[in-house]
Amino acid sequence: MDQEKESYNPPEWAITFLYWFCKPELLEDLLGDLLEIFDRQCEASGKRQADIQFVWLVFRSFRWSALKNSKKLNPMLNTGINFKVAGRVLWRDKFNTALNTLGLSIGIICFVLMGLYVLQELRFDHFHSKKDRIYRAYLLEDYGGDRTFFNSVTPIRFEAFFEEHFPEIDQVVQYAPRNFPVRMSEQDWVDESVAIMSPEFFEVFDFELIDGDIEHPFNDRYNLIISQQYAEKYFRETNPIGRTLDLKLNNDIVPLTISALFKDCPATSSFQFDLAISNSLNDILYGKRARNNWFSVGPETYVLVNENASIATVSEKTQDVVMSYLGEEVKRDEYNIGFQPLTDIHLNPEIPAGIAPVSNPTYVYVLGLIGIVVLLVAGINYTTLSIGKSMKRTVEVGMRKVLGAQRSSLVGLYLSESLIISLISTAIGAVLAILLIPTFNRLTGVSLIYVFAWWHLIGFLLLAVVIGAFAGIYPAFILTNTKTMSVLQQSSTAGGKHWVRQGLVTFQFLVSVLLISSTLIMNRQISYLMEKDLGYNYEAVISIPLFGESEKGGFFNDYEAAKDNGELLWQKLEKHPEFSNLTITSHAFGSEGWAHLAFEDKNGDFRWFRMLGVDPYFAKAFDLTMVQGRNFEEGNTSDERQGILINETAADYFGLSEPIGKQWPGKEFGEHRIIGVVKDFHFSSLHQQIEPLIITQNIKPIFDGVSDVGFNDSPIPKILLKYTGSNLIEAQKMIEADWNATFPNRNMSFSFIEENIKRQYENEARLHKLISTATIIAILIASIGLLGLTVLVVNSREKEIGIRKIIGASPFQIFGLLARAFSWQLGLGIALSIPLTIWLMKEWLDGFAFRTSIGIDMFVASIIISAGIAFLVISFHAWKASRVNPVKNLRVE
Amino acid sequence: MNRESIGELEELVLLTVGSLADQAYAVLILDEIKEKTGRKIDVTAIHSVLRRLDAKGFVNSEMRGATKERGGRRKRYFTLSPAGRAILDETMSVRWELYQKLPKLTFSGI
Repeated sequence: MDQEKESYNPPEWAITFLYWFCKPELLEDLLGDLLEIFDRQCEASGKRQADIQFVWLVFRSFRWSALKNSKKLNPMLNTGINFKVAGRVLWRDKFNTALNTLGLSIGIICFVLMGLYVLQELRFDHFHSKKDRIYRAYLLEDYGGDRTFFNSVTPIRFEAFFEEHFPEIDQVVQYAPRNFPVRMSEQDWVDESVAIMSPEFFEVFDFELIDGDIEHPFNDRYNLIISQQYAEKYFRETNPIGRTLDLKLNNDIVPLTISALFKDCPATSSFQFDLAISNSLNDILYGKRARNNWFSVGPETYVLVNENASIATVSEKTQDVVMSYLGEEVKRDEYNIGFQPLTDIHLNPEIPAGIAPVSNPTYVYVLGLIGIVVLLVAGINYTTLSIGKSMKRTVEVGMRKVLGAQRSSLVGLYLSESLIISLISTAIGAVLAILLIPTFNRLTGVSLIYVFAWWHLIGFLLLAVVIGAFAGIYPAFILTNTKTMSVLQQSSTAGGKHWVRQGLVTFQFLVSVLLISSTLIMNRQISYLMEKDLGYNYEAVISIPLFGESEKGGFFNDYEAAKDNGELLWQKLEKHPEFSNLTITSHAFGSEGWAHLAFEDKNGDFRWFRMLGVDPYFAKAFDLTMVQGRNFEEGNTSDERQGILINETAADYFGLSEPIGKQWPGKEFGEHRIIGVVKDFHFSSLHQQIEPLIITQNIKPIFDGVSDVGFNDSPIPKILLKYTGSNLIEAQKMIEADWNATFPNRNMSFSFIEENIKRQYENEARLHKLISTATIIAILIASIGLLGLTVLVVNSREKEIGIRKIIGASPFQIFGLLARAFSWQLGLGIALSIPLTIWLMKEWLDGFAFRTSIGIDMFVASIIISAGIAFLVISFHAWKASRVNPVKNLRVE
Repeated sequence: MNRESIGELEELVLLTVGSLADQAYAVLILDEIKEKTGRKIDVTAIHSVLRRLDAKGFVNSEMRGATKERGGRRKRYFTLSPAGRAILDETMSVRWELYQKLPKLTFSGI
């Protein structure tokens, strides 16, 4: 080619492509023209533009009239004819076609649903345009031993700290939701979660402001922004911009002006807020100590790293900068600041959850895998059925070959058959899957949202082509591999390698058995969790959270105020005979995160324990058993002031073999005395071991002696009571009436402890439901496949069966004949699935501190189920085959 | 009448081929049409039309004129065939006839 100076060449591959498809007699002048235009474009607008245009023109040249009549392209050029012929073949064998389409459609429904779910989980928080530069800071304090504190909520002062010391960081924003009473009407206050955020929040994250001051929503520190949903809730139809809403911030009523309206947060966002205020109000919301403290955590801190900097350089520097502040208080590498990418938050369980919950990535991958496996099973159906059918079609292939058909064009023909089936099935499957999303959500408890986009069509088309190609390629090659002569001589040796087909069938059995036994094992574990004796009686217990707002403020005063409020409500509630076992406690069962306290014991070891504040009625209300000592006595003021109960685990953990009368082994606790030991009960979920616990009426002396405190559940007291009636709505009405009579200006909430406990296993229950659904689908698909295969076996052995019947075979013997064809595959499938299931389920069960065992009975059950279904399908055909008049079969000639 | 029909773009290309005398090849035709009509078409469309016209026998073509410019490749030059000329004459006369019958613009209303 020309090697003039300054002359560029267009992309080589495009030219190669042109050579490949273009008729040689057209090539010279077409390429010449394209090059001429390319050179011209090069001069006009540069090489890049010219390249793009050249490639575009090459693709535009790919026209019917320019295509080469080559053997390579022949199958492609014959597409129209191929599809026509394939359509006829499929139409002729309607039964098989229907089975194939049905099986594939079901598989695709399952695959699409699981796939959408996995995609949604993986794409969580991905809608922010700067997502690759946004990181969340975490704080890992490691003082050796048990004394580590790992939080992804951070001190408030981190915002200023990062801004001041790290030029690599463009923006620092904090985010912390807190509950505040919001004025609904004159007298009516509602507790709402309000996000406290840095004013630059919307410059970092892509939440859409749609009305009001879009540029600077937090121009004034008394601004409030509101979501569309909440604007509707508070202002109905009217325009909320410029209106005011009263919030109670630390007992002061503060009117806030609504400056902007934003679109509701997408479901795939870790941030979920409906009201937000500026964190320039922090001086009202937090005390001075909290704002400057390095060791108390509250908001999440997000940083936006400069385009030219990397987060690694920031991380490296943190330790030095921290030491310049805290050098006297901590040693090097004890106070560590780290960063986690925004897109990593939703599925990384290694870093503790901040404000939004974290999903379990294993579940996501397992579900994705199940989707693929079910699709595989469905694809295998097609493959095995086609291979089976190929025996019947060898003559057809032979004839075509004799008449001069190329192998490639024959492959093209048979591939078109599988493509037609997969296109139809994908269309049916995808549409049904999308229609089934609400049902899927309801059945499994996930919240899948589907928004149609045009590129999905391309995705589905691609899926169909891939399935069609994979399912059809093997049968197509088997079919066309036959030696022409041997086919025409009728020495029927064709049909492909038997072991491949048998292997595929074995795989199907394996998957079915695996899924059935996994479902059974999960079922057992979940019912074990639900039915396990937790050590207390929680049936029909209602929990009503109280509120405490003391004049003086402060935790202890609020706590006491809430208790006093509880007494007021109590007097009303106890008049109903349906309510019994009333008690006031700081935490209720079914919530993780009871007060977590730590202190240094007499040996200098750091020790954690949990604490529950109660009244004297608590142990009796929940039927707790005393192992040693005694329960609190009603009216015993010494008990009320200084008596504590501990659980068995606490006695073991602190080595208190004779605990009665002794003290908790720390130095600085206030006056207290152990009066009794309660039998262990599961106050947190069964994922966790039972932890040491103190039960006390007076929380003050215990708080005095601890150095660290953590709450994941509000310790403000609740009234717990047992409802013995039968009408829950009636119970709700009674509680509401009493509440409104006592606290007319407050909203009430209540919950059933039983439901809260169930909710702790929500994830497991959801996984179980998803897998059960997949199991049913997989079984369905596998039986469809088996049905088809049996039909083929029956058909290919029509004469044999006919002759056997004439000689006097019973239907049972015919059944045996057919069953033998599949029995060893079933057996092998079962044998292989057992170790696989045991391994998988062990992994899953390891996530529970308390678990059931994997028993043989579950495998026996799943074998019976799968073998049962297999034999049911086979015997149906055996019955049918044995009913046919043998003369019919034998007269076929 | 039983004859090959001719499309609008085909007619335009055919006319251009005729008007360029023996200098007509795809890129030049493209430039000419762009200049005269301002229509945006790409060269592959011209090629495709020329192939159709060739198949219908309205144009003749020959390869000649290797230049350095196109990597030494020859160009395919097109000329109007008698059949092409005939069909152009025919379409033009039909058009002219009909055009003559248009009512003259009058301004009597104003």
